[in-house]
Amino acid sequence: MSVDAPPRSNSTGAGPTWRRSLGSGTSTPERLFRVALVLIVGCLATALVSVIAGMQRTASVAEAQTRIAALTTDSAELYRFLADADAMATSGYVSGGREPTAVRARYDDDITGATERLVDAAGRLPGSQPVATIAEQLPVYTGLMETARTLNRDGLPLGQAYLGSASALMRGTILPAAEELRRQQSAELTAAYGRGVAIPFAVGALLLATLVAIVDVSLRERHRTHRTLSVGLLAAGVALVAALAWWVAAVGTANARLAAAQQHSDAVTALDDARTAVLQARSAESLALVARSAGFASDDDFTTGIDRVVGADGASGLLARADGGAPGSADRITALRVAVGDWEAAHRQVRALDDGGNYTGAVASVVTTQPGGSGAAFAGVDAALADAIGAERAAFADGTGSAASALTGLVAGPAVLALLAAAAVAVGLGRRIGEYR
Amino acid sequence: MTASGPRTTVNVARPLGYLCAAGALAVGSLLLPGGTAPGAAPSAGPSVTVRPSTGTPSPATPACSGIRESLRPDGPLPAPGAMPPGSTMAAIAERGRLIAGVDQGKYLAGYRDPQTGQLAGADIDIVHSIAKAILGDPGAVQFVVLDIADREKAVKDGKVDLVVDHFTVTCSRQRNVEFSSAYMTVTQRLLVPVGSGIREVEDLRGRTVCTSRTSTNEGVLRALGLNVQTRTGIPDCVVDLQRGRVAAVSSDDVILAGLAAQDPQTEVVGRALDHSSYGVGMRLDQPDLVRFVNALLERSRQDGSLAASDQRWLGDVLDPVPQPPPARYRD
Repeated sequence: MSVDAPPRSNSTGAGPTWRRSLGSGTSTPERLFRVALVLIVGCLATALVSVIAGMQRTASVAEAQTRIAALTTDSAELYRFLADADAMATSGYVSGGREPTAVRARYDDDITGATERLVDAAGRLPGSQPVATIAEQLPVYTGLMETARTLNRDGLPLGQAYLGSASALMRGTILPAAEELRRQQSAELTAAYGRGVAIPFAVGALLLATLVAIVDVSLRERHRTHRTLSVGLLAAGVALVAALAWWVAAVGTANARLAAAQQHSDAVTALDDARTAVLQARSAESLALVARSAGFASDDDFTTGIDRVVGADGASGLLARADGGAPGSADRITALRVAVGDWEAAHRQVRALDDGGNYTGAVASVVTTQPGGSGAAFAGVDAALADAIGAERAAFADGTGSAASALTGLVAGPAVLALLAAAAVAVGLGRRIGEYR
Repeated sequence: MTASGPRTTVNVARPLGYLCAAGALAVGSLLLPGGTAPGAAPSAGPSVTVRPSTGTPSPATPACSGIRESLRPDGPLPAPGAMPPGSTMAAIAERGRLIAGVDQGKYLAGYRDPQTGQLAGADIDIVHSIAKAILGDPGAVQFVVLDIADREKAVKDGKVDLVVDHFTVTCSRQRNVEFSSAYMTVTQRLLVPVGSGIREVEDLRGRTVCTSRTSTNEGVLRALGLNVQTRTGIPDCVVDLQRGRVAAVSSDDVILAGLAAQDPQTEVVGRALDHSSYGVGMRLDQPDLVRFVNALLERSRQDGSLAASDQRWLGDVLDPVPQPPPARYRD
């Protein structure tokens, strides 16, 4: 640095030592020292806040991922296992005689699956009320069901009363708790998502303020000393601009990816709701046959469930919100609508058979998987739903995964740059202060 | 350069101002969202429990002038498949099946045999015999299982041709239903766990007794001032009895005998709380069907097939099996 005109001190007299009057001194080096201190503190604060905000954001996105896992493995699957177990027990009974081996095996698998999910959920969500309710009532349910089986084996019709009791417990208490659990998880996911995409005001404000302060100081320094810009301050400014750019890029990319992922999440929610409605309609179909009240019981529960899924006009309903834009999504939804239509047609046939006095034919259509029957048509709907849910969930997981990767280094990177800026300010202004010694 | 100051001076206030403003903003924005720790347990929702409602009081029975006797058969039974033209039976034959309201939970009376999935029992026998008399085929029946509370309405609305379901003849039911002549007489008693110490209704003070909703039994129990719980059917009451939620179940002796036969840990006790008889329930505006069914019952009484059916179903659980009462007609 060339020194063409040494800056003139505008203090009236230097103190015994400039150190002593650090806080109140009015000499140029004293003032410069205080400016440097403020700028360094600004840089350090920026670094600190950047680390905290980066950690929070990364944690939120990670939490969103955990919640997806929780939704996938706990709540939605738990509901499906439980509802399916009840459907199996009911249809095993309707078919009469010894429970078909395949039906019994599927019931056992459902109970095992539900129990595993429940243990998982209990570990993930300690203290959750719905989990506690299910954990309390599921053994009661299986106990009643086993009593029903024993009585059926003995040829005693009291078994049906136990079956009815168990089924009422499932539909009235356990399934609503599972549904509540799923809704809670959904809400948690939305909250985590909200934190993951929030604009980072704290970091932004500090970064900008420090940057503006450094620019301001360097411009005034140049004006005051009629010299070129301080290299230290320039370097500090560049480092802060880089930190700012890092944040903008990371948040921009991650938010765009999360927004895309959120579309899949909405689709998964709609599809999960659709699956619940489909299982309820299936349950209503079987129970009408158990009750054996041909033409006397209303078919409203079935119709309500189907209308929720495809809409009264067959073209709206939950499925209208189920296209999350995953590859092949539109085709899957179309296939799903066709499958639901097939099931409705098969169900109308079941009702016609039952109301027309052909109870055995109605039972065969619902319980067996004969082609064209209601059982086969329901299996088609279930498979199509599983397919669509699987695809959207995978796309959702991918989306949040890539959002998380966009945040790689966000915790350390900008913070290191801010620390470098602090060092540059110290060196740059330290040299100027040194010129006054 | 500037008017106020002689020269640009080093001024700490400006950078400090920027930083303080930013700091305030930063602290505010960090505090406001209130970062929740990841994995925090969701707030506990309300626990979901559904309790069965314990009984609605039976509708007050207005004063009745006593039970009305049934309608006399008009001549011998026509041959199956040759019903008088324009009669209700001809319409049933035309349809090709009899629609009968029954129960599937009354062991030995009307129940679903878990082995075969088919309905069986003494009441079901009567339905088959009516179908055979009208259509010539005992299997030409569509069974409609009805809740106890739905039976009157099902007959009145024509959802079923008739109800054979231990349907007790009462004068209030006769406002909506025409009954056949009585085919069985029964008494209302108690079913209790073996060794419970309960012998009579007086032992039930402060405890709960269960019966089916809107049954005649319910009215009798309430008149005794007992703590009554009602369910849709008697088997549901037995589930409650076996789970220890009620102290006793009260119903007609033939029904209780069927239940005691299913659970050796229960027994039928106590004096007769009420006497009543069962009839086939039909529509008020189809007297021809009532006369037809009465003619059929008359024949089954005389040839012993009615008593034989009762003996076959109830012989093992009820001693003695009540004999079919003689028919009484109002005309």
